[in-house]
Amino acid sequence: MSDALTTGANREKDDPVLEVEGLRKRFGGLVATDDASFAVERGEITALIGPNGAGKSTIFNLVSGFYEPDAGTVRVDGTDVTGKQPHEIADEGLVRTFQTPRKLEGMTVREAMLVGAGDQPGESFLKLFTDAAGVAAAERANVEAAHEMLERFEIGHLATQPATDLSGGQMKLVELARAMLAEPELLLLDEPVAGVNPTLANTLSDHIARLNDDGVTVCLIEHDMEFVMNLADPVIVLDRGSVLVEGSPDAVRADDRVIDAYLGGESA
Amino acid sequence: MSLRERYGGMTRAEQGVSLFVCGFTALLVVALLTGGLTPSYTLYLAGLTGMYVLLSLGLNAQWGYTGLINFSVAAFFGLGAYGAALVTASNSPLAIPGGVLVGLVLAVVGSAVVATAIAIPTLRLRADYLAIASLGLAEVVRQIVLNQRDWTNGSGGLRGIPDVFAGWPVLGPLPGELPGLQFAEYAVGIPGLFRIRVLGFTLGEPFWTDLLNFVAVVVFVAAVYLLLRRVHRSPWGRVLRTIRSDEELASALGKDTYAFKLQSFVLGSVVMALGGVFYAYLVAYVDPGDLEPINTFYVWIAVILGGSGSNRGAMFGGFVVVAIREGTRFASDILPARLPVDVPVLVDVYGAIVSDFGSTRLLIVGLLIVLVMRLRPEGVLPPQRELLWPSALEETDE
Repeated sequence: MSDALTTGANREKDDPVLEVEGLRKRFGGLVATDDASFAVERGEITALIGPNGAGKSTIFNLVSGFYEPDAGTVRVDGTDVTGKQPHEIADEGLVRTFQTPRKLEGMTVREAMLVGAGDQPGESFLKLFTDAAGVAAAERANVEAAHEMLERFEIGHLATQPATDLSGGQMKLVELARAMLAEPELLLLDEPVAGVNPTLANTLSDHIARLNDDGVTVCLIEHDMEFVMNLADPVIVLDRGSVLVEGSPDAVRADDRVIDAYLGGESA
Repeated sequence: MSLRERYGGMTRAEQGVSLFVCGFTALLVVALLTGGLTPSYTLYLAGLTGMYVLLSLGLNAQWGYTGLINFSVAAFFGLGAYGAALVTASNSPLAIPGGVLVGLVLAVVGSAVVATAIAIPTLRLRADYLAIASLGLAEVVRQIVLNQRDWTNGSGGLRGIPDVFAGWPVLGPLPGELPGLQFAEYAVGIPGLFRIRVLGFTLGEPFWTDLLNFVAVVVFVAAVYLLLRRVHRSPWGRVLRTIRSDEELASALGKDTYAFKLQSFVLGSVVMALGGVFYAYLVAYVDPGDLEPINTFYVWIAVILGGSGSNRGAMFGGFVVVAIREGTRFASDILPARLPVDVPVLVDVYGAIVSDFGSTRLLIVGLLIVLVMRLRPEGVLPPQRELLWPSALEETDE
């Protein structure tokens, strides 16, 4: 942990999984993302923070392909994915979660988990008939992996519950576990503890730290400052659509420009 | 498993549906024996049910699995019926050479091509656009069939469609070779209480032909049902169900939702076209009236009533729709023409309904939908709770 702070983003990273350069998005007269550039280093937990309207969610949607940028580039693991479809970007190893957990009606938790696994032969209509044995073998392996993943998140007992009957916090855990089944290079977490009680927020924080120890790179948006400051390093501060500063939690917390941005004053 | 155990293992809805189907079939058998229904009309009803079941299975594969709103069921049904009829009808202006199989291929390929053509521009947009485009497509297809006389014979329709197996080895001449069965008429009853006449008909070549058609429908419906059940509980079907709940989630997890929606749409449309093919052979005559939008809505009713997303529900819905459509033809004969109690307004309403069931049929359908939505919004037979590839659980479930 260093106290280093850079004005704008720190672009001098050795092995970035995600590189964003000059990203711009305009909605009518509103410039939501204005020339945002930053990088996410492999193996770290990087947080994007900033006051409401700073453009955090827009950047997530641009990076994951849900919005098309007006300008700029996004590279995942060195591959240019700018303007690609969300599923193509997911195939490159970038998997995101959503702010409000998405409910899958009529499915059990393990069924909802299974959607996460990538490269399933059973997702090809033809192979259901030409390679039934291969489909069954893959499905068996995936069911087993789903059970194991649920165990790792300590929610194994929910496997056969209806996916719609979970509490908000359990849904967050399921969503995280499902994203992990997709074996991501980079996990984008959109407000992982929004609307979650403090105890569960700690649990989630521990889970994310454990995933990171296992080698998963994480990039997250969060409003809960305590959560961010305990978990993430580095922290990237956004203001008005572009990067203000980047640094360690302590350095960011002490910086006047960050405080000004949050208090609504003129940034230096 | 004994019948009793099997019945005990069902949910209440399943028990109710089985009892309803058994009771209704028993009613048909009684009507058949007492001469209320002729044998060939009974088989026609069964064939019509099979056709509606195919249509609702097809729509279920689009709306029930994936959440695609298709208002052109009648168009795909029509493509199937005309595809078959253009090849085999005696007055077909195109006189495409070939038999039943060529007609079948034409229907399947034609519907798949049209489904792809309408899906490509609309599936990338929001869900409502497919609904609007399909509504337009239904009308376009109907107008083409109505006005392109040198292809379709216009409002004159196509007639003289032979039996399914006409000209086939073994199956073709079979009905003529089977013996005619004569059933003498009997009178049964309890002396002093009532007497009815039963049986008293002959089953000859036409009956055997109809029976063979019926067997063909049953085999096809069963094959389509088994195929759909297999794909519905596969990983492929799971992606479709994810898209129905949340398309963004599916694409965030790396699924090419556009490709899946396209496959689901084409699959459903082809199944609907198969329903059309059977209809052509069932009534041996097709005309543009069969493509009226009302047929699309009957199928929607079947799927919603049965339970969106459930193959069995779609089959049951198809059954109920035929029961309503055809049953109301007889209701005016069975029900007394006047209400026995004399309540002024009620008598008038009752009289209006009973004297003209053809017009009030839709009223009944509407009431039924309101009731189902009010009491059981998920439909009569909603999908099973968990759908997993069957052999995947054998070793992990301890």
